[in-house]
Amino acid sequence: MSAARELRKVAGVLVTGAETPIGEMLIRSLLADERVGHVLAVGYRPPEESLPFAHARRLTYVQVDLVRERRTHDLLFGPARDLGVEVVIHTAMARSAAAEGKRIHALNVDATRSLIQLCERHPTIRRFVLRSYADVYSVAHDLPILIAEDHPLNLSSGAPQWIRDRVEADLYACVQMGLSRLQILVLRMAEVLAPGTGSQLFDYLESPVCFRPMGYDPMINFISLKDSTAALEAAVHTDAQGVFNIGGADTLPLSMCIDKWGRLGIPVPGSWMTPLYRWRRRFRGHDFRYGMNRRRFHYSGVLDGRRARSVLGYTPSNPISWPTS
Amino acid sequence: MRILPHALSAMVAAGLSETERKRFDNLVFHDEGHGYDAFGLQREFVAFGRLLTSPFYDKWFRVQSSGHEHIPSAGPGVIVCNHSGAVPFDGAMVWTDIVRKSEPPRVARPVADHFVPMIPVIGTVFARGGMVGGSRGNARALLEHGELLLIFPEGVPGIAKHFSQRYQLQEWRVGHAELAIRNSAPVIPAAVIGAEEQMPQIGRIPIAMMGLPFIPITLTPFPLPVRYHILYGPPVPIPELYRPEMADDPAAVREAAGRTRAAVEALIERGLAERKGIF
Repeated sequence: MSAARELRKVAGVLVTGAETPIGEMLIRSLLADERVGHVLAVGYRPPEESLPFAHARRLTYVQVDLVRERRTHDLLFGPARDLGVEVVIHTAMARSAAAEGKRIHALNVDATRSLIQLCERHPTIRRFVLRSYADVYSVAHDLPILIAEDHPLNLSSGAPQWIRDRVEADLYACVQMGLSRLQILVLRMAEVLAPGTGSQLFDYLESPVCFRPMGYDPMINFISLKDSTAALEAAVHTDAQGVFNIGGADTLPLSMCIDKWGRLGIPVPGSWMTPLYRWRRRFRGHDFRYGMNRRRFHYSGVLDGRRARSVLGYTPSNPISWPTS
Repeated sequence: MRILPHALSAMVAAGLSETERKRFDNLVFHDEGHGYDAFGLQREFVAFGRLLTSPFYDKWFRVQSSGHEHIPSAGPGVIVCNHSGAVPFDGAMVWTDIVRKSEPPRVARPVADHFVPMIPVIGTVFARGGMVGGSRGNARALLEHGELLLIFPEGVPGIAKHFSQRYQLQEWRVGHAELAIRNSAPVIPAAVIGAEEQMPQIGRIPIAMMGLPFIPITLTPFPLPVRYHILYGPPVPIPELYRPEMADDPAAVREAAGRTRAAVEALIERGLAERKGIF
């Protein structure tokens, strides 16, 4: 990276999803970054409930319900314009697979759409970064294990809303690339194995005994909170746009992941998995849905992060802290 | 605690000499940090696979092989080979031969048909040994990582051939040639003599289960103890003959595939002429 690029200042960065673990860590990291002038954090809860450091210098916290387009408009053309925000990082999406319905769709998809549309005519915003998910990709026995950015997306009609919404939001942002004056970056991230991130596998690993389909042990890639925020921060300072796979530093088989998390993995016939995890969800209130993860419990799918490495300069370097390591 | 990896390590420790075990420390593969590559290959499992296949390699099929100097010791390459035998022992023996004879040890990554990863246990076991499903993306990624591919261009029709068709190459698919041209990789022709007589196939039962295309009806329930001869020939110099952009030229790809087919046919003829008998 050239010295000129190193020293580039960004007057302001707006971060949605400030109350999420990724949002919070990203805001901390941006505040520590001298190249960033001001951080405008957006959450749906009052500041004292969302960010313990909401009153920090160079930080403004705004409570906004992104589902309400008028509020989003007023945010962008109010505080965001006044602070000279140049980059918007959108990480706010429903984090529970159980959350379904119109309001959730409005948050996951409509809010993304209206944010992009409003940013397009904004006087100071020039870049929009969408935190997307590896879940948008299809995983199957006849598809490549190493997932590049042109890998088929999961457009299956049977996919749950959690996935359909993410695919729709991701595709909307992709469609706007080149049509919009904005620089749009879509970062498709591997699963963040941390609480509060909406990770299905984190929920799966919460039980002391983890069942998995007998005869299969697919390779899975995870990203740490630190690496996921590093990738988003890299997107703030780049000139590039496009779609980028953001892989993590941990690629390992499912059985090893269960073992390293200190759980007991028990292979069971594949047909038992759906009822077992349906009962678990019903009686223990867990969020993990086997139907949503069935394919990746059979076939490997690992993000190929070469494009992010060469264009964004992002290399995963912070492995997950495994409880048993 | 995962029991299987510990059991594998114990078996490898008991079954392989210390020199051989140390040899596997130099195994060239792209470790993603937990002892596996992105495709699922594991060093310990390769050592275990070498141990597991040894009785077949040394005692049952008594493999004799030649031409290892043609296999690149580093960098990308594509080994193309005839395919036969109802059950793919030929692939396992070529895999074993290369693991045993290459220095530093290399793993030829067999590119299997799409249905193989769907088969429980088998799909996982083969992946630990280096197999990948036959998608173009997998093969391309491996070549870009400088790996050695093992491709059977005849595919399932090769392994399903009737006994009367032995040593006659079936339709020679051209994907390997396109891959080699695009990635400037040499193609090393290979021939397996013996496998085509191991389980004479007289029919097949079409079946739609676990992705299997059919169940072969063979004269014997187990492979006969035929002697295997594996011959590697001089590389077909794809990078010298074709520029990478020619991978999109169907005529050039067909021509390159014709060259590899002719090279394998010549090796089969040589192997058949040189062998002293089936057993």
